[in-house]
Amino acid sequence: MHVVKKQEIFPRDPNKTYSLMAIVDGDSLQVDKDPGDTVSSWPHLVLRELLVFLVVGIAVVAVSLLFNAPLEEPANALHSTNPAKAPWYFVGIQELVSYSAFLGGIVAPAAIVLSLLFLPYLDRNPAGVGVWFAKERRVATSIFTVFVVAMGILIVIGQFLRGPNWTLNLPWH
Amino acid sequence: MSATVYSIRDSIKNLPKNIRSSVLRPVEGTPEQARAAAVFGNVFLHIHPARVHENSLRFGYTLGLGLISFYLFLILAISGTLLMFYYTPSTQLAYHNMKDLEYVVSFGVILRNIHRWSAHAMVAAVFLHMCRVFYTGSYKAPREFNWVVGICLLLMTLFLSFTGYLLPWDQLAFWAITVGSNIAAYAPWIGEKIRFVMLGGNEVGQMALIRFYVLHVALLPVAALVLMGVHFWRIRKDGGLSRPADR
Repeated sequence: MHVVKKQEIFPRDPNKTYSLMAIVDGDSLQVDKDPGDTVSSWPHLVLRELLVFLVVGIAVVAVSLLFNAPLEEPANALHSTNPAKAPWYFVGIQELVSYSAFLGGIVAPAAIVLSLLFLPYLDRNPAGVGVWFAKERRVATSIFTVFVVAMGILIVIGQFLRGPNWTLNLPWH
Repeated sequence: MSATVYSIRDSIKNLPKNIRSSVLRPVEGTPEQARAAAVFGNVFLHIHPARVHENSLRFGYTLGLGLISFYLFLILAISGTLLMFYYTPSTQLAYHNMKDLEYVVSFGVILRNIHRWSAHAMVAAVFLHMCRVFYTGSYKAPREFNWVVGICLLLMTLFLSFTGYLLPWDQLAFWAITVGSNIAAYAPWIGEKIRFVMLGGNEVGQMALIRFYVLHVALLPVAALVLMGVHFWRIRKDGGLSRPADR
């Protein structure tokens, strides 16, 4: 970069604390450089999104061609299925209900929903944003993992290991 | 001076170009400006910022779970609307409609499969999305409220799936909803009342079917759409997807 003109081309204004000092020839530091580490949404983001849509669409159609949705006998209020199971995502709750109707069916779901809703206001530790399993958040990560694994185990027990009358029934028996 | 002079011949000659430019709102400028305009000049894409941070594109960071959930919702909305053409929310007819979908309607069984499996997949995808947001600490300030909106969307997804579960009116549906609604009845004092409002009676019957149907095809999808709008808008307002602090 070299200075093109050294003489002042604009008169100084005594009311201003700044003035044009010189006009230099050359590119600014930002030319051909993206602001921050950003890229333009089109095409970088939008094409990736379309690719995900293709993958999701193909997966859903493939599964739908291979497996039929379950359809049992017509509903009959006089003849209950044994065991009667809730949809798989509520089977964990149903499993808890089999231990204690009030604690498992009301207290536990309410506690789960309320603690999820209030989580960001309870965990005010600002560290560890934007990183998977940040070291600074070991306690939070551990508590949440216990919750997720417990839900998973309860769902597996309820869905696969519970037979007639909700007795423990190993699938290979 | 010929700017105001036009001929029918020119109009016809330029018809494709004129229609194209009127639809697409083309922007003259540098390639950079044209790329930005492709996003903010398009009503469907302008939910995106013109530029995104590189971290937002890392598949290993988001695993695409939020996007997958949204796509599954779209697939469910479309396949569900098509299913509505063949479905009657009546205890006399609902099960026969299922059999018709299976044996009479062209591709009916595929349509039902798509709706059923997408619904299961959406519950899983939304839950995994919540796990991703938790494990990356993305609910921390300033994104606290968007986490709350996300939890509401998780509940909407569960309610949508649960209300849809009854509609085939087979044994699986009937007894799953009986078990599910009985859990609500365990609440002290108001439990029985909650179940009565939910089912429109004391047991699963025609009133329950029509209630679940209206919730499933009208109220809950609209509520979910509104919440999704807020959810996506807040992503932008809260500064895009979370990312590690710049070094």
